[in-house]
Amino acid sequence: MTDRAAYLRTLIVTRLDESMPGTVASIPPSSSRVPMRALVELVRAKGTSWLLGLTSLGGLLAFWYLGTKYQLEFFIRFTNVPTPAAVLKQALAVGASTQFLVDIGNSLRRILLGFGVATALGVSVGLLIGKYQTVRDLLMPALEVLRPIPAIAWVPMSIMLWPDNEVSIVFITFIGAVFPILLNTVDGVARVDRVLLNAGRSLGASEVQLFWHIILPGVMPNVFTGLAVGMGVAWVSLIAAEMISGQFGVGYFTWEAYSLVNYPAIVLGMLTIGVLGLLCSGAIRLIGRFAMPWLAYVNGGQK
Amino acid sequence: MNTAQSLSVEEGVVEVHDIGLVFESGNTSVQALERVSLNVQSGEFVSLIGPSGCGKSSLLGILAGFVKPSSGKATLNGVRIEKPGPERGVVFQQYSLLPWLSVRQNVEFGLRMSHTPKSERERVARGLLSLAGLSAFENHYPDQLSGGMKQRIGIVRALATNPRVLLMDEPFGALDTQTRSVMQEILTDMWQKFRISVFFITHDIEESIFLSDRVYVMTARPGRIKAEIKVPLPRPRTAAMTSSPEFIELVQLLKRLIRDESLAAMSSELTAPK
Repeated sequence: MTDRAAYLRTLIVTRLDESMPGTVASIPPSSSRVPMRALVELVRAKGTSWLLGLTSLGGLLAFWYLGTKYQLEFFIRFTNVPTPAAVLKQALAVGASTQFLVDIGNSLRRILLGFGVATALGVSVGLLIGKYQTVRDLLMPALEVLRPIPAIAWVPMSIMLWPDNEVSIVFITFIGAVFPILLNTVDGVARVDRVLLNAGRSLGASEVQLFWHIILPGVMPNVFTGLAVGMGVAWVSLIAAEMISGQFGVGYFTWEAYSLVNYPAIVLGMLTIGVLGLLCSGAIRLIGRFAMPWLAYVNGGQK
Repeated sequence: MNTAQSLSVEEGVVEVHDIGLVFESGNTSVQALERVSLNVQSGEFVSLIGPSGCGKSSLLGILAGFVKPSSGKATLNGVRIEKPGPERGVVFQQYSLLPWLSVRQNVEFGLRMSHTPKSERERVARGLLSLAGLSAFENHYPDQLSGGMKQRIGIVRALATNPRVLLMDEPFGALDTQTRSVMQEILTDMWQKFRISVFFITHDIEESIFLSDRVYVMTARPGRIKAEIKVPLPRPRTAAMTSSPEFIELVQLLKRLIRDESLAAMSSELTAPK
């Protein structure tokens, strides 16, 4: 048997612990104590992506600046487009007035109301449709007919349906947001892993417990996808409604600027809409990250 | 050791009588299981081994209560199995931890479903996790852990409801060879402490011998019990035993039995009408 062991030893070509005794000890200690180093690491890791982001925004601004400066006319006409400087001047003038803030406040209130109702209704009805075949068979045909109608096409009907302008604008915002939220929720229920449901059942969960403890948290990622898309459509719908039937609001501000031939204000309105939409989507993403901390680790990714 | 004893594993006898299972799809029907009879005695570790697609997972599904047999019956302690329940702990082939719960919350899940008080739940979960050497990870999310750890937590979670039997469906199938053999040692150590009845499904011959008191061999479709083999190796089992002549003899024996079936399974695939 010792012969055998000796023979086996001859088969080992190299072995870390025997042939290279100094290797482990000779690794230099990490110099992570220098705080500058952390900053350098961060810039190195994110630098390229920041640079590209800056290039993207700068490119857009440069295109706008050069187009208006040289009055570019090549398929699109820059002759009437205000310069960035004119828009900035307008922003400073308008920013000082409370009217502009009132417009922003009105738009935000309409978004919160319409989007809030769409979230409550879209998620709860979506869960019911996803869970119960009967509810699906009952509701889906009607929803499928209504879904392709763009929110803006609801404007005349909405004015007829609701007692005042304000409610009808909120309703149109709701119509825009509710379908993405609802359909993503329905899809989410179907995507809940059957193995998780079986695991829950074998651990003694009743159907009601399965719903609260597995299906509900399981659809959350899909719900948040729906909320993000719904928020985008809500803004589109809100601005359209405000332009047509509004009083106050950023959409109204922008359309009024057009009527009054105040071109810098048009661009200011557009940029305001862009920034507000971005902030709202960002808020949804942030809430999602807090509500679902575990998602950061799914698929092995630190995102 | 104290934790294990305080958990007081209860008797669990599984009996499968003449089970048949037919899958109907459209106008074709496939006989998945045919007249399968087997048993697991209390405190016994029993494996079922067979070629892939022979219906062994379906049989486990019947014992878990997810699948209804077309004929015959399965019982636990004489009571017919009709639906899933916490008295039968299931360890799945796929990772089945709830990704939104921490490791400890996953282990507590079954007790939470039975409205066990929070302090008791925590006590049981902490005890089991420390037994499995996973205490340091109790606040991690499953997706932060390796496949081997996830499956260990899956086993611990199944044990937390104090089941009469553990049903394991190729739990190490997705793991690499090294992790797999470590997991087998951990499982046999844990079994040694709990002495719970286990029904274990695998297609790995060495694994089935290393872990089991008895091994059933299943035929290719339709799945039938082709042989039942006793594993007379002493307990507790150690990794060193896998190179003993007795172990190798058993491997040879099972290999011959399985080989015929794998050939049969392949030839039926080759000649099966499309």
